Amino acid sequence: MNVKVGDIIKLENNQFVAADLLLLSSSEPHGLCYIETAELDGETNLKVRHALSLTSELGADISRLAKFDGIVVCEAPNNKLDKFTGVLSWKGSKHSLNNEKIILRGCVLRNTSWCFGMVIFAGPDTKLMQNSGKTKFKRTSIDRLMNTLVLWIFGFLICLGIILAIGNSIWENQVGDKFRTFLFWNEGKKNSVFSGFLTFWSYIIILNTVVPISLYVSVEVIRLGHSYFINWDRKMYYSGKATPAQARTTTLNEELGQIEYVFSDKTGTLTENIMTFKKCSINGRIYGEVHDVLGQKTDMTKKKEAVGFSVNPQADRTFQFFDHHLMESIKMGDPKVHEFLRLLALCHTVMSEENSAGELIYQVQSPDEGALVTAAKNLGFIFKSRTPETITIEELGTLVTYQLLAFLDFNNFRKRMSVIVRNPEGQIKLYSKGADTILFERLHPSNEDLPALTSDHLSEFAGEGLRTLAIAYRDLDDKYFKEWHKMLEDANAAIDERDERIAGLYEEIERDLMLLGATAVEDKLQEGVIETVTSLSLANIKIWVLTGDKQETAINIGYACNMLTDDMNDVFIIAGNTAVEVREELRKAKENLFGQNRSFSNGHVVFEKKQPLELDSVVEETVTGDYALIINGHSLAHALENDVKNDLLELACMCKTVVCCRVTPLQKAQVVELVKKHRNAVTLAIGDGANDVSMIKSAHIGVGISGQEGLQAVLASDYAFAQFRYLQRLLLVHGRWSYFRMCKFLCYFFYKNFAFTLVHFWFGFFCGFSAQTVYDQWFITLYNIVYTSLPVLAMGIFDQDVNDQNSMDCPQLYKPGQLNLLFNKHKFFICVTHGIYTSLVLFFIPYGAFYNVAGEDGQHIADYQSFAVTMATSLVIVVSVQIALDTSYWTIINHVFIWGGIATYFSILFTMHSNGLFGIFPSQFPFVGNARHSLTQKCIWLVILLTIVASVMPVVAFRFLKVDLFPTLSDQIRQWQKAQKKARPLRSRKPQTRRSSSRRSGYAFAHQEGYGELITSGKNMRAKNPPPTSGLEKTLYNSTSWIENLCKKTTDTVSSFSQDKTVKL
Amino acid sequence: MKRISQDCQSGLPDNCAVKQQQLPAYRLQLSANKILSGFFATGVFCLGVGVILLLSAKTIKEVEINYTEKCANCAKLRENAANFDKECNCSIPFFLPETMKGNVYMYYKLYGFYQNLYRYILSRSNSQLVGTDVKDVRNCAPFKTSHNGIPIAPCGAIANSMFNDTIILSYNLNSSIHIKVPMIRSGITWWTDKYVKFQNPSFQNLSSAFAGTTKPPNWPKPVYELDEEDPGNNGFINDDFIVWMRTAAFPTFKKLYRRLHRIEHFTEGLPAGSYSFNITYNFPVNRFRGEKAVVLSTLTWSGGSSLFLGLAYVVTGAVTWLAFFSMLAVHLRLKERKTFFLQQ
Repeated sequence: MNVKVGDIIKLENNQFVAADLLLLSSSEPHGLCYIETAELDGETNLKVRHALSLTSELGADISRLAKFDGIVVCEAPNNKLDKFTGVLSWKGSKHSLNNEKIILRGCVLRNTSWCFGMVIFAGPDTKLMQNSGKTKFKRTSIDRLMNTLVLWIFGFLICLGIILAIGNSIWENQVGDKFRTFLFWNEGKKNSVFSGFLTFWSYIIILNTVVPISLYVSVEVIRLGHSYFINWDRKMYYSGKATPAQARTTTLNEELGQIEYVFSDKTGTLTENIMTFKKCSINGRIYGEVHDVLGQKTDMTKKKEAVGFSVNPQADRTFQFFDHHLMESIKMGDPKVHEFLRLLALCHTVMSEENSAGELIYQVQSPDEGALVTAAKNLGFIFKSRTPETITIEELGTLVTYQLLAFLDFNNFRKRMSVIVRNPEGQIKLYSKGADTILFERLHPSNEDLPALTSDHLSEFAGEGLRTLAIAYRDLDDKYFKEWHKMLEDANAAIDERDERIAGLYEEIERDLMLLGATAVEDKLQEGVIETVTSLSLANIKIWVLTGDKQETAINIGYACNMLTDDMNDVFIIAGNTAVEVREELRKAKENLFGQNRSFSNGHVVFEKKQPLELDSVVEETVTGDYALIINGHSLAHALENDVKNDLLELACMCKTVVCCRVTPLQKAQVVELVKKHRNAVTLAIGDGANDVSMIKSAHIGVGISGQEGLQAVLASDYAFAQFRYLQRLLLVHGRWSYFRMCKFLCYFFYKNFAFTLVHFWFGFFCGFSAQTVYDQWFITLYNIVYTSLPVLAMGIFDQDVNDQNSMDCPQLYKPGQLNLLFNKHKFFICVTHGIYTSLVLFFIPYGAFYNVAGEDGQHIADYQSFAVTMATSLVIVVSVQIALDTSYWTIINHVFIWGGIATYFSILFTMHSNGLFGIFPSQFPFVGNARHSLTQKCIWLVILLTIVASVMPVVAFRFLKVDLFPTLSDQIRQWQKAQKKARPLRSRKPQTRRSSSRRSGYAFAHQEGYGELITSGKNMRAKNPPPTSGLEKTLYNSTSWIENLCKKTTDTVSSFSQDKTVKL
Repeated sequence: MKRISQDCQSGLPDNCAVKQQQLPAYRLQLSANKILSGFFATGVFCLGVGVILLLSAKTIKEVEINYTEKCANCAKLRENAANFDKECNCSIPFFLPETMKGNVYMYYKLYGFYQNLYRYILSRSNSQLVGTDVKDVRNCAPFKTSHNGIPIAPCGAIANSMFNDTIILSYNLNSSIHIKVPMIRSGITWWTDKYVKFQNPSFQNLSSAFAGTTKPPNWPKPVYELDEEDPGNNGFINDDFIVWMRTAAFPTFKKLYRRLHRIEHFTEGLPAGSYSFNITYNFPVNRFRGEKAVVLSTLTWSGGSSLFLGLAYVVTGAVTWLAFFSMLAVHLRLKERKTFFLQQ
């Protein structure tokens, strides 16, 4: 797309916005349009944008739009998603522009059939792209370590070269000098220092095989193999969307085995972004639980048929509710149940619309409200349509129109919303729904023990991770209402303290409520999220949730996926408004944490007993007990400043769970960077939307959830799969194996090359440091490529210490990767020492055995060529035996490669030493007859055998003692696995999922204030529902002022609820 | 995932063992019993082989006579390269206290002669030695051609430095009767060397085959005069030449010179008594501070074993056993701890 600044583009419903646009006009009245910003900030509710009235008149008139020649002067491109300042000059007048008139790239147009906008920022200047951070070249820590080691080896090589060069100079001086006149023609005096210099370079060339050039190629091949395994894994294939897992890079695999911090987005990653009505409690009775014959609760999935609503033509097919009792109660005509459902159908801000097929389409601004209205619809109370003054619902088949008298909108203080309606019988009723803590305070004393009962139910719902709302009503006296309404009109007309007065009036009427019951809506977590989170925590991976969504929602999800529990010693909430406040809060939290820790010092024992599997675990945290930190974006902006960020980091890292809410994409990246930089830990970021791109890019490993609408996250990611739960398999199985294999591979590779090469060094002392190689040139060429590369590659690709099921069941196995235990500098030195030892054995046993010895036929066998063949044969066999011991998972491929490697060696050896080949190329194959002669000598085989025994036995003994004395968890599981091989697979260690049982009352928190006003003003009603000319509410707002009102309220909310603010001031 | 129809679905990976990493495999897990018994067996084996090797090495009879200093006057003569054409003989008497039974081999042994120098080893022409192209001296630097540009045959530093002493062993039956001990040359080279790697150019007359080449500078006579009596031992296929051309791996080495022809007095081997070596001293060693010796030796089943291999086996076996016992001790002590875990 060649969208340029100044272009005017048309967007249609459900389309992604391609650039930052100034909204000019839309299909909706008053130039309104609705957008979803989930890609940007993770919030799922709809937001309203409206065009300037001047431009909205342009409508869909292409010719007039084409003539639009306004000039916009605005701020420079920046990354602030919720702020825009600019001025539009058109037709000689100037209009100020703010965020309300801008549609940002990455949003999705909803409920608006079309809109036109002028491009203000395009491409990399868009706010989304400004937030996406820089793309960096990612490398694994093993890569960096490998580079360091290669440099070290290079230094080592130079040292060897220097030693041998000095040796050569001395030798030339002492011995060679005399020797030369005898051996060489007339070379005259030669400088021994110069000779040493030449020797240095010769040895650099000969010994260069210690610097493993082929290592890099092999490492890449192995990683490629591991990436393919990820792509091929059927257990990471999501059949729902036909998406297999995808490794989009092939260079980071082993780092998947070293993750310490996981940064997860919430919406679309942890949750499915679907709300479903699960349960309700009406008049003290719970509906929605399924009981089998024995009266026990059963799984909600199979066995029972969903309650049939086939009688209801409007029923939503996707809606599933399993309790027949509710249906029965409805049919029996239980008044409380009817009232409950009526309330659900009346008290909301949903707009309805009939599509061409005659089906009702609900336009919801928050998904949980949608769930409630849909539930009511399916249960027979169908919300049909609304006008600013009326609400029409179908109650079990009969159309009833209610007069809407007042709309008491939601806001963050009130945490409730109410409607006051007059039913056809003339009764005035107030219907209210809201957070239980708030509503319970306003109940009428005559409610008796219903509140207590409902309260128990609410706790139960909350314990299952459901979002709850309390439902209540009040019958109003006609006279009382009229008085109240008059007061409300006065208050609205008032110039000063208008809001306070209105709030007071709302308080006044919303009391003496009669409790009806409660609803429980599930913000549906993705499948397996809880298990995954639990399992990853057991693997000592810390999960931080970074979301653009509201604090309440984030906390709710935190509880729902067991990241926050009531067992936690403390949950710190940082919501300070200024830098000073934030610092103070952090300091307090820290004090609190250390203080509690001291008093909980004996809790340490309990903690250890909880995890009996942690035999070798080191409790490295100084803090025991579980803590959680919740911080919002506004405070985070302060906390990320230089002087405070260490405090933040220290506190955050001591907490088991960290939740950051209302954070901008860039802040997500900053948090990731902070941990990455200061904790020196390997981080993984997982997300699905464009707002996660920056953190995906800045984390060591970025994972995108694929199969969603947007592709930005997947495109920026290193790995992509369809469901959060696959993260467990990616890390615990693929990551762990990759790391394990890579480490084993590296250890062996360094060992093999040192054993191979250092023999030349020892030989140097016996050949006058003349840079004579021990082996035949052909062997040197083929050793790394043909004889020894394939077995180790096969090990690097296929090896498994513990099978995948056990890796999943025992997350503690993941810890060695985090602690970097399997390959580090220490291990490297062990490998190198092992290699040096082997080279010593390889050289000195044949040396000693050949010295001054004759063969079976009396001929001398200590000739150079026989010695070379003996050494080469021993070496190939020793390294093959070593790889055979290292390989713990012998597939057919390993067999072929290992035995094949040895077989290849012998066949090539005999071919190259054959008469025929020598006949053709006498100078290239001077070893003619050597293999045949040497390898038929008993004593040469005795030498080879002794070499093998002497170089392999110490390793076996060392490993045996290590496993015996300090068995790792992996060793134990392997033994266990072996013992249980014939028995059933390991099941017992499956992490259990348990829910906490705290009550988290929550109004449908995706709500935003202002919709009530929008509805009662009728501005968003279509022309086909013409607003009546007169009405109670109509007079309250004049048609031009409501939008300003709405904007004002929104900004008011932002400034008064600092914790909900996204702005980085 | 169980339904077969889904296999056709796009993107579903194949359910094959390789792709799912489910290849049937043997999980190598060395149990303590296996390792311990392995160590025990290895220890037994090594000790056994070691003892056998040591015992058989003891049966070997070996006489080594270093004649560098014993022929001091000859050595002195050879120090000056100008005296290369002056013959120098030297006789070294010695007494053999015991009979050397069986086959007896005679070696010459050089100390401090670096046949393994890089440039030395390279300095030969295999295509010349195989007889295909006598004038091919490409790799022979610095002994490619003589001063006047004629290619040297055999060229190169190895050939030029050939050991050229002649050693004759005589058995002194009494003070007057000296019997020349019969020695044969056959079988002192590898079959492949004699018949594949080294070939004379195919000419009727050997000297004409080498026409257009010159002798190596240190040699007293050209290659086609190495053994004029036996055409099967002349030219490049001269046994002593072939033996010399097979370069030694270490600066101290012995090379097979002759073996005892077991006839007449010597059917049993070399009888005890007094002998003498009559040496034509040609090869100078003093210049590089080397030494030379002549060695008489018998063999065993494994060749001329030195003590090293036997000792190394014994030591390895002993260490393996030691390791076995200490590992066993550690293992038994920790056994309870291990079962504790397994019972969980």
